[in-house]
Amino acid sequence: MAATAIPEIMPDVGQEEKTGSKSELDSAWLVVCWNDPVNLMVYVTHVFQTVFGWSRQKAEFHMKQVHNQGKSVLARTTMEKAEHYVHQLQKYTLHATMEREE
Amino acid sequence: MKLIRKTKEQFAFSLGQREKQLWFQVLQMYPLVPPSHHQLSKKGKRSSQHEDQRLLEDAVAEQRRANRQQVLAMLAEPGRFRETKNDIRFSLTPAEIEWLLQVLNDVRVGGWLGLGEPEELETPEINSTNAPYLLAMEVSGFFQSVLLTALGHHEPTPFDES
Repeated sequence: MAATAIPEIMPDVGQEEKTGSKSELDSAWLVVCWNDPVNLMVYVTHVFQTVFGWSRQKAEFHMKQVHNQGKSVLARTTMEKAEHYVHQLQKYTLHATMEREE
Repeated sequence: MKLIRKTKEQFAFSLGQREKQLWFQVLQMYPLVPPSHHQLSKKGKRSSQHEDQRLLEDAVAEQRRANRQQVLAMLAEPGRFRETKNDIRFSLTPAEIEWLLQVLNDVRVGGWLGLGEPEELETPEINSTNAPYLLAMEVSGFFQSVLLTALGHHEPTPFDES
């Protein structure tokens, strides 16, 4: 599966953090989900809805991004929240990591 | 296996005899993915990375122990699986479906890892060593699909692409 660069525009990622101070924003972490061809698409959609509370439409958007581009940035948030989300996604055996935003 | 009735609190399913055997067989394989499979980060530049990774593996192992106990308790629960003249009936709560989806995906991914992580549509050469992994992957995927359909999901078709 070909890797792709993180999209520059993610209109629905990390809205909750926009009110943070500059130092908080500087140390933002990205929650990334990577493609594993074994996962059922409908399962990935379900997990995104469950973990993030997203609508089906938004969950399917990110599922398709994972499927077609190899990965999707699911959230931009603090280290603590990123750890929480990664752990939740890994409970469902999705390939998720947290990466410091550069 | 098919959904026969659903309320807010209960999902009732019908199973054939062979499906029941497969249900038990697949769930008893859990856990199949090694805890070290999960990585906190791709980059791992932080000095505390190794400690964070160890904590993650401990947390995953602890959660799997709890899931394993819950699975075994469910399979051994008297009256959980009721045989009728034509089939076997059993019910699940929404919360049980949620952790069963986690359990089944662990078995599915573990089977895929055991097969050497084949790409989509790639069929590995099957032999006596890897056949159990193929069974784990395919059968757990089937049960996942049934549970997800019961929750109201469906696999996207080409017509869903936008």
